[in-house]
Amino acid sequence: MNRVTKRTWLMSLFIILLLGGMLFFLWEYLTEADQWVGFSGSPHVYNSSNLGCGTVTDRSGTMLLDITESRTYASDALTRKSTLHWLGDRDGFIKASAVTNYAGQMAGFDLFNGIYDASGEGGTARVTLSAAVQNAALEALGNRKGTIGVYNYKTGEILCAVTSPTFDPDNVPDIANDTSGAYDGVYLNRFLQSAYVPGSIFKIVTVATALETVPDILDRTFSCDGKREYGTEAVTCEKAHGQQNLRQAFANSCNCAFAQVAELIGKQNMVKYVDKFEVVKPLSFDGVTTVKGNYDVSDTATVSFAWSCIGQHTDQINPARYMAFMGAIAGGGKGAMPYLMEQVTNGGQVTYQAKTQYSDRIMSEETAATVRQYMRNNVQAVYGDGNFPGLSVCAKSGTSQLGGSEVSNAMFAGFVENEEYPLAFIVVVENGGYGSHTCVPILSKVLSACKAVMDGE
Amino acid sequence: MEQFLNTLSVDQALLATEYVGFLRWAVPILTAILLLRCVLPLLTFRREPEIWAWLNMATGQQVPITHWENVIGRSKSCDVTIDFPTVSRNHAVLTRYDDGSWTITDVGSKEGTWVNGRRVQICALTSKEKISIGGVDMQLQPITERQEERQAQLRTKAASGWDTVTNLMLLTILQCIMLLGFLLNSQQSDFVNVLQGFLGIVLCQWILYIFYCLIQRKSFEVETIAFFLCTIGMAAISTVKPEETVKQLIAMIMGVVLFLIIGWSLRDLERAKVVRYLATIAGVGFLVVTLVFGTEYYGAKNWLIIGNMSLQPSELSKVCFVFAGASTMDRIMTKRNLILFIVYSVIICGLLALMNDFGTALIFFCAFLVIAYLRSGSMGTVALAITALGFAGVIGLKIAPHALQRFATWRHIWEDPLVGGYQQTRALMCIASGGLLGLGPENGLLQYVFAADSDIVFATISEEWGLLTAMMTVMCIVALGFFPIRTARVARSSFYTIGACTAASVLVIQTVLNCLGTLDILPFTGVTFPFVSNGGTSMIGAWGLLAFVKAADTRQNASFAVRLMKKGE
Repeated sequence: MNRVTKRTWLMSLFIILLLGGMLFFLWEYLTEADQWVGFSGSPHVYNSSNLGCGTVTDRSGTMLLDITESRTYASDALTRKSTLHWLGDRDGFIKASAVTNYAGQMAGFDLFNGIYDASGEGGTARVTLSAAVQNAALEALGNRKGTIGVYNYKTGEILCAVTSPTFDPDNVPDIANDTSGAYDGVYLNRFLQSAYVPGSIFKIVTVATALETVPDILDRTFSCDGKREYGTEAVTCEKAHGQQNLRQAFANSCNCAFAQVAELIGKQNMVKYVDKFEVVKPLSFDGVTTVKGNYDVSDTATVSFAWSCIGQHTDQINPARYMAFMGAIAGGGKGAMPYLMEQVTNGGQVTYQAKTQYSDRIMSEETAATVRQYMRNNVQAVYGDGNFPGLSVCAKSGTSQLGGSEVSNAMFAGFVENEEYPLAFIVVVENGGYGSHTCVPILSKVLSACKAVMDGE
Repeated sequence: MEQFLNTLSVDQALLATEYVGFLRWAVPILTAILLLRCVLPLLTFRREPEIWAWLNMATGQQVPITHWENVIGRSKSCDVTIDFPTVSRNHAVLTRYDDGSWTITDVGSKEGTWVNGRRVQICALTSKEKISIGGVDMQLQPITERQEERQAQLRTKAASGWDTVTNLMLLTILQCIMLLGFLLNSQQSDFVNVLQGFLGIVLCQWILYIFYCLIQRKSFEVETIAFFLCTIGMAAISTVKPEETVKQLIAMIMGVVLFLIIGWSLRDLERAKVVRYLATIAGVGFLVVTLVFGTEYYGAKNWLIIGNMSLQPSELSKVCFVFAGASTMDRIMTKRNLILFIVYSVIICGLLALMNDFGTALIFFCAFLVIAYLRSGSMGTVALAITALGFAGVIGLKIAPHALQRFATWRHIWEDPLVGGYQQTRALMCIASGGLLGLGPENGLLQYVFAADSDIVFATISEEWGLLTAMMTVMCIVALGFFPIRTARVARSSFYTIGACTAASVLVIQTVLNCLGTLDILPFTGVTFPFVSNGGTSMIGAWGLLAFVKAADTRQNASFAVRLMKKGE
């Protein structure tokens, strides 16, 4: 009998397995339960494929979406259209990832009570977007495709992130049978999910890299006769810019001068600094992650490398990420990271409150200051300060060639210097033609809308 | 009744909400008190060594005999060690019977066992017989009836009558407040079913207790735990399939009857040995019948449809397998018996493989491991068996794409939340939604997911009654698992120890596979949670297994394993 008695220890293996498994589960519960509750399709939080509890408002308290019972969008059609890509549609073609990331908090989830809530009402999520700015931006874009992003580089709040084309969820067009192309990529949130050829707005990266890596860059001059040849190929400008220093070359957006700057920088430094500035890395906030950009100069000829420093070749940037890069320059080498969700409340309790987070320092303060001066000079000398009354804007335009007969994309990126309006922005108009020509009037309207909203707060 | 319900339904919604607020706290607290009261006596009773006889050696030395089955031999792990070169390692087994008589059985020794100068295989002993083992002479001196009586008086008593009544009252209160929750929350058409289910359990537990009082057995902890688990299961069924509550209740009653029958057969070891043969044959029989007449569901051919009843005979085979594996010491020491058992296991395993029932095969395998190790004590055997399982598993997975798919989604359910990981992702979402205290009866949404009352029943309970209560149901099984380990030291026969350990292992393993499968910690196998999952045969089988656990209880007046004292007590 003694032997059999001693052998019963084997049983405890099974018991340990059960207890260990349960302990492991408890640990998972403590660390992951909020994600389980908020996961798409969670029965208590979702109606079919979309979030189903509470309301979403913009920064001023304008109701954007009420999902307590059914799915009710804003009362006016323009707001419905301009905010659709952040709220999701009724069919689940557009996912509202940034909002649903807080599904658990909206449902009032906590580890102890789960979503048990005696009041039975959902929560309220307040996003940083301003419906007024969204509407102004969408109207300014008109029928053109593209995206506009504006955020506060001191706090991180995204005031504007509009994407076009869009549609009214209360009056859904026949998208599947549309042949005009007006709804191409309509389910895409271009601000997050698109990567564009940057064109000359990429010269900001090149200038900053040159300032950090070429010691005597400010003493050098660059000549341009409209063409800089590399064997059978060449980098070209629309006209000959003559002798220029770096600042002038930047204002003229002189490709030939930048080809020479590229030679001074060298491939290795360029790759290193593109990485350091994080301009092609994906950006994550509020549970969403943007697509990544592209900067690849391995196995390229000298001419291709030159083009890569001008924002052509195979370069690609994501608008949200590039906007954050603008914010970092405006912030003197480090900026606040953009975010969309301001606050979530449930039953009078704040279940989530956004906190400003800063990027690591990506460039020295001196470099940032110089780039800022140059960008300010661009507006004063080229784009026209009068377009932005009351604002001191720093910017760089871009006209990104797409190859073939396709009309270039118009790009515009920069920031506002004013202490009281710390806004960084990016404007992308697909097939918009000449950068500053297309984008400046749009940006002018968007920034004045932002200014009005901020003045009102 | 209907009028009563109508008057209630006026502000039923408000009342229901208020009541759930109360229920969320009341259920886990009551459960905790009840389980502590039931589990602690099982895990903390005193295990006093008992002396049943003395072995008087020729040298004048007296060796106490502390078990009913004792191995005598040269090996240090023997119950009585005689360090003499002519004594075999395991020489003979000394066995006491229920009526106080003793036998000695030779277990293949070299020099043989001699009684009164005759070489014997098995021989009844009195205090007069001269025993000679490998040339060492001795005499057995059983304790007197007076001593035996004295020993019985000293033995830990099972819980007093009042303790048991208090426990049962607590359980009844718990059942009533849960029932009231359903009354306020469920539809009236369903409620009659729910009412029948719950009241049926209440009646059944009290009738069984009164029956115990009549046969003067006082311990009711194990049964109370089982009835608690049945109640929790009934709550899940009431939410998910209220029309099946009565069916489950009937299964439970049949289970209790089986529990009593097995208990009765275990009461006397000689009787148990006879029943064992029947069970051994029945174990194979159930599987063969399923294989021939069975129906295939979800890739496994383990259902038998008779009329409008669907049975899973493999659940009953488990009980038979435990019976077949349990064995007394004198038989354990013979190699031939172990080999016969291994052959039997291989047959069972083969049948299960033909049925393609992966989950059940795993449970049988674990039961086999426990039996094989308890009987042989050889880790070598166990290692060999595990290796064999490893190979069989790999081959099985190659053949069965159904099982392979479950392995593919294991720990990856969130990557496939709509197909492969559907049940488990919903289960986790709903567990989290329920929090620690739950959302209240009928307030859960997991009920609309397939198998919410069986394969993922843990999550259904957790969602509606809280993670705390769900965890405590698992702890019940843990307690039932620990009990045979604790009681093994004072067990009378290895038959009980092996039976109880194997039965408890099966209960624990089923819980492991069911709960950890639901929670995506182990692959999802679709095994039932004993006593809790909706499933008639599984319920009956669980009660059958419980009889073995119960039989290991040696506290005075606690169980079938210990005979009542003839006088007094």
